[in-house]
Amino acid sequence: MSEQELPDTAGYERWHVAVSAVVGIVVALLSVWWAQGFNVFYESIYRVDPGAGAGNGIGADWAAGNSIPALDFLIALIHAADVIMGIFILVMVFLHWAAFRRLAGQMQQPGEDVTDAVAADGGEPAARKITGRDGGGDDE
Amino acid sequence: MSNLDHGKFTRVTTLFHSLLGLDVFLLFFSGYAIMFNDELWWLMELMGGPNGVSAVHRITGVGLIALIVFWIVLQVISPTGRSNFGEIIPGKDDIDAFVQDVQFMLGRADERHPNARQFGGYKADEVPLLSYIGKGVVFIFSAELTLLAVSGLLIWSKTGVAALFQTKAAAAAFVTFHGLLGVIMLMGIMFHIFEHGFHPAFYPVETKAYIPRKLVPEYHADGEPETTGIERLTLSPSWGWASTLFGAATVVGIASVLMASILDEGYPVPRELTISGGPTNLLMTIGINVGILVLGVGLVLSMYGNVLRIRWERQLEQEGGSESGEVGAADD
Repeated sequence: MSEQELPDTAGYERWHVAVSAVVGIVVALLSVWWAQGFNVFYESIYRVDPGAGAGNGIGADWAAGNSIPALDFLIALIHAADVIMGIFILVMVFLHWAAFRRLAGQMQQPGEDVTDAVAADGGEPAARKITGRDGGGDDE
Repeated sequence: MSNLDHGKFTRVTTLFHSLLGLDVFLLFFSGYAIMFNDELWWLMELMGGPNGVSAVHRITGVGLIALIVFWIVLQVISPTGRSNFGEIIPGKDDIDAFVQDVQFMLGRADERHPNARQFGGYKADEVPLLSYIGKGVVFIFSAELTLLAVSGLLIWSKTGVAALFQTKAAAAAFVTFHGLLGVIMLMGIMFHIFEHGFHPAFYPVETKAYIPRKLVPEYHADGEPETTGIERLTLSPSWGWASTLFGAATVVGIASVLMASILDEGYPVPRELTISGGPTNLLMTIGINVGILVLGVGLVLSMYGNVLRIRWERQLEQEGGSESGEVGAADD
């Protein structure tokens, strides 16, 4: 394969990549630093209440489960999204599976006696191809 | 025409894709070792118990934010990135491509629509930058990753969400939301691995995502080709059983995590309090582990794609002579 056959392609400038990488890392670190700041309420929330009585015992607030309607709704919504997307993705799997089987049927079968076949990526070359140029990727 | 098929990714994109994949796989392995702990207890042990798992999840979480921001900034500041915005907008062609895929499956169309075609072959010219699935991947994964990163940051310190939502149970519900959100992506990635690992012309991995387009020769013959030329390729002997096995594993994996997301929703505290552990059974345990195996295969294929890139670069260097230094240039 000579260099001349490789295409000219538009890519990314080195400095664009560098600037993006720096911004990405800085934002990631800043966001984590920001998230650490949430710790201020630690004491008041997890403090064990010694005066255990009705509704005052350790973990008493767990017994109620999640009682915030907005979060309940969010979870119900995401359940629905999971199911809808899950079924859609399964349809896509079957669709592609079937398409792949048809495409495989159009290809030369392994061991078939042909003269102008090229190997697919994982296949064995049934015979070398006509021009060296087109067959260059046989073992890739 | 080119039997290698056209490259789609620049060198930066191939690297980004591999790093993002590695990062997301680790996020899945650590996150679902927590959420589906009844079924994936071994994964948690493997990563050093609860502490190890949260460390892995947090480190890769920071990595994910860095990668997302890197990509957004790069797409906005570079002309190449900006020029690609038009290419990712779904259009009528994409709906046509889906319809034609259904017809192709049923035997009522002779070939796949250009917007669905993974193997362009001789007709690579009419294949757009992204297939309809590719556009869906870009949109769904972008939305998912953004929401997951934001909600993940909010529960970085659970006391923080507890402060926002006042009770520990509500905080746990928010964690559940985060986990359920990831299930869509988990299922999507399983399909993604099947789609790009088991196309008969590319099996076992589609190199377009690993070999930069700059290194993929394009050769166009005169005249209009009549077919994609797939009929001249020889099928790999192992494709039949491998695609059947992996296709089945993909279906089992997706169906199992979907079921588990409905039944096993509230680790550590469900919406309604259940006293015993999460509902689980042998079948679901096997199913979810099959799903994790599918992801594992994806990780291996991603590494294999990079091995193929290195081999191809070496081959180009050997054949290219003096100018081969350009192969490693970072300007793409």
